[in-house]
Formats: sequence, structure tokens, C-alpha cells
Amino acid sequence: MTGRVIVITSGKGGVGKTTTNANIGTALAREGKKVVMVDTDLGLRNLDLLLGLENRIVYTIVDVVEERCKLKQALVKDKKNPNLCLLAAAQTRDKSAVTEEQLKDICDQLKEKFDFVLVDCPAGIEQGFQNAVAGASEAIVVTTPEMSAVRDADRIIGLLEAKEDIKSYKLLINRYRPNMAASKDMMSKDDVVEILSAELLGIIPEDTGIITSTNKGEPIVNDDDSMAGRAYRNVAQRIIGEDVPLIDFEEEAKLSNKIKKFFSKFLNKGKEN
Amino acid sequence: MSDNIFAEIYNRILSLLGQNAKDESKNTAVNRLRLVLMQDRTNLTPEIMNRMRTELIAVLSRYVELDKEALELNIGQEGEHMGLILSIPVIRAKDEAEIEQAIKEEEEAKKKAKEEDSEEQDSDTEETQESDETSEEETSDEEKEETSEETESEEETEDKEPVEEETSQDVTEETPKVEEETTQPEEIQTEAVKKSIPKIEKSKKNDNPSEE
Repeated sequence: MTGRVIVITSGKGGVGKTTTNANIGTALAREGKKVVMVDTDLGLRNLDLLLGLENRIVYTIVDVVEERCKLKQALVKDKKNPNLCLLAAAQTRDKSAVTEEQLKDICDQLKEKFDFVLVDCPAGIEQGFQNAVAGASEAIVVTTPEMSAVRDADRIIGLLEAKEDIKSYKLLINRYRPNMAASKDMMSKDDVVEILSAELLGIIPEDTGIITSTNKGEPIVNDDDSMAGRAYRNVAQRIIGEDVPLIDFEEEAKLSNKIKKFFSKFLNKGKEN
Repeated sequence: MSDNIFAEIYNRILSLLGQNAKDESKNTAVNRLRLVLMQDRTNLTPEIMNRMRTELIAVLSRYVELDKEALELNIGQEGEHMGLILSIPVIRAKDEAEIEQAIKEEEEAKKKAKEEDSEEQDSDTEETQESDETSEEETSDEEKEETSEETESEEETEDKEPVEEETSQDVTEETPKVEEETTQPEEIQTEAVKKSIPKIEKSKKNDNPSEE
């Protein structure tokens, strides 16, 4: 078996790389794929927290590299889904503990046994980014509809295009606020796609459920009623190659916006009178 | 689809009530971002763009009388391809005698500048370059004054409708105006009139996909 190695990256911090990784990984596993998530954010590991696996980690990626354990031993199985595994980052070391070659080697080994290897990339464009990208052949660029995130995404796209091993990259717009986009107080998905001229993989709406799901260590894709969860499940299906249309959050928001405005206008008039 | 019909009806009603009139900060974001990304991607800083613009004006002024204030030089992008878009509002084409005179004047000015330089005893290479540029500018300014005196009557009639030679109108409409931040306020006034047209077209373009 030769799996796909996908790096999830963004340039800017805090746009939702790790959340995206946890949710896409879980969603792919729910689709019956064998998935391993590799956290390369040495010294700042968080993927284990989002998956609720922080207490199960015995060995980390640095232990594998320094041959204190075998690769298989370091893989932590998910609580719910046996298809899902995590290779955690070391919390006590820095980015220099693992080299590009070592990461590439780990990815090559993992893709023999898994359908998907999802590499969680640290923020920034320094060595941590170079390491994370080393073993990947595809990339997901996470951004939000904010200027700073889009600018950093553009930089990352430039760096990805220069990498021979990266065959394709796609854009994921996270923390989307359809209400604000509809009222033109925020860039719309079309604006972001046009500016970055990249292929769109999906749009994840801003959802307070992300916070509560992180609190619980339970990715939001497992919540069937959540809007963000639904969007992440669609993204996973698109990665597999299914043709799932984008959810038109904007149209829904536009309508509810107008209705709200319309009625509030009447209500205000009533008060004035 | 029924959703869209309702949305459109609400749109119409609200626009009748004048609720759509407000400044849309996202347009500011998009324009600022476009500009900054062009600079990130190319290293064409506003300073370099301005320099290019002045030099282009100097060259073009030899052959045509142009509206210097309204000349636009922008970086544009269409898909993955990037290009420079130059819009040159021509007031009047010069005849051969005028062109030759302009070139002569320019050469003389250059000679003068060189002589001055040698007198000053080459201090810095940068300085000589700069003085070269300024002298070019001066000549082109002189030129314009001279020619405009000669053809004042012609200009009055033609000035109202300057002939525009746009290399690519479509792209110009959609690209951010680099000059907005980099040039004098006088220019913005003349541009504002031109811009108002593409803006309306653009907002139409933006509305359509969401209503489909």
C-alpha cells in the first residue's frame, strides 16, 4: 500500500492548522481509511490535546528518530476509532531534534501501512516548516479571511510551489463568518480564492463548538449536528475524491441577515412611534 | 432556488429602503491585500514604481504630448500571470519637427549635465545618476510648456476628451490603483472620475455570483 502524505500548513499561527488536522484525520478514519497524524510542532505539541490522547503518549517522534523505540511502538491509537493513530511531537525538545531526512524517512515508512499520513506543520517558514514539508507530496494551506492570514498563506504557497516533491496544494478557508461576508464586512471566499488563485478544498464556518470540543478532547466531526463538523466531513470526502458541493453558508446567512434587519427596522419604528 | 428568489426580493426591498448604503470595509481589505501581495511577490516597491513612471513619462514625452498626471502604471494579475499595465492618456501626437527638437533638447541637457558633473569632479556615481534624471525631467517639463504654448487653442478643445490608449482595459479595471497611495492628491481627482465607472461594474460582478 502506498498512502498519501499530506502536510497541513498555514504560515500564520492560530488559524486552525491543528484543529483542521485533528478533524480531517478523524473524518477520514470515519470513512474507513487508515490514518496516521504526525505532529511536527516540536516543543509546542497540541494535536494530542485536541484528540484527547495526551495521557496515552509514551514515546514521541524524537524517541523514534533517536532509536529509543520502534516507529510502531510510538503510534498512539485513537480512543474511538481503531483506524486512527497519532505520532506525537516531543514537548521538551526544539525543532532541531529532527531533520528533514529523518522526517521524510518516517513519512515513507508510514505511507506503507496507512492510506493517509497527515503532517501537522508548525507556524512560520523556518526549519520547522521545511521539516514538515519534506516528506509530503500534497499540501493543505489553511487560512482565514483576514488580511494577515491571507498574506502569510500567499508566502507559504510561494514556498510550496518551489518544492519539487509537492505535487498539489489546496486551500482551506477556516473560521469563516458568512454573516460578515454577506454584509461585506469581511472578505468572502471568492475574494480569498481570487487573491491567492489557489484551488479551494473547503470552507469551515466559525463555530463556538470548536472550543467546547477542544475542551473535551473530542474532534467536532464526531458531532453530527455541528456546522463546522459537517464542513470538515465534506472536506474529508473531497480529499477521498468524492464530488461534494460546497455548503453555501453565505446564501443562508444573507437571507437571515436581511430578515433580521428588515424586522429590526420595523421594531425600531414601532418603538419610536 | 426558492431561497434565492426570497433573498432577491429582500435585496430589492432593502435597497429601496436605502439600507445597502454603507461603507464596505472588505473592499478596503481586498485592495490593500492585493497591493501588498504584488509587492511581496515582485519586490516592486512603490518607490521603484514611481521611478519607472517618471522615466517612462520622460521617454514618451518625446513623441507625444501626454497627460502626465493621469498616466497610470499598475501591476496587474490575471490568473497566474502578472504584468505591468500602462495607461497613457494622449493629448496630442507630436509632429516630426517637434520630436526632433525634443530629442535635441534632451541631448543638450544631457551634455550640460555631464559638463556640470565633470566640473563638480565626480563625487558619487549615484549622484550623477540622480542629476541625470532630474535634468531629463526638467527638459520634458520645458518641452511641455513650450508645446502647450504653441497649441493652446488646440488643447482647449482636445483637453476635454483626451484620447486614451489602454494596453488592456479589462485588467486595468480590476487592478488596484498603485498611485492612490504613492502620488499627489491632484491626480486622484482626475482618476476618481475614471474609477467610478469600473467600480460600478465591479460591484455588479460581485453581486451576481451570490444571487445565482
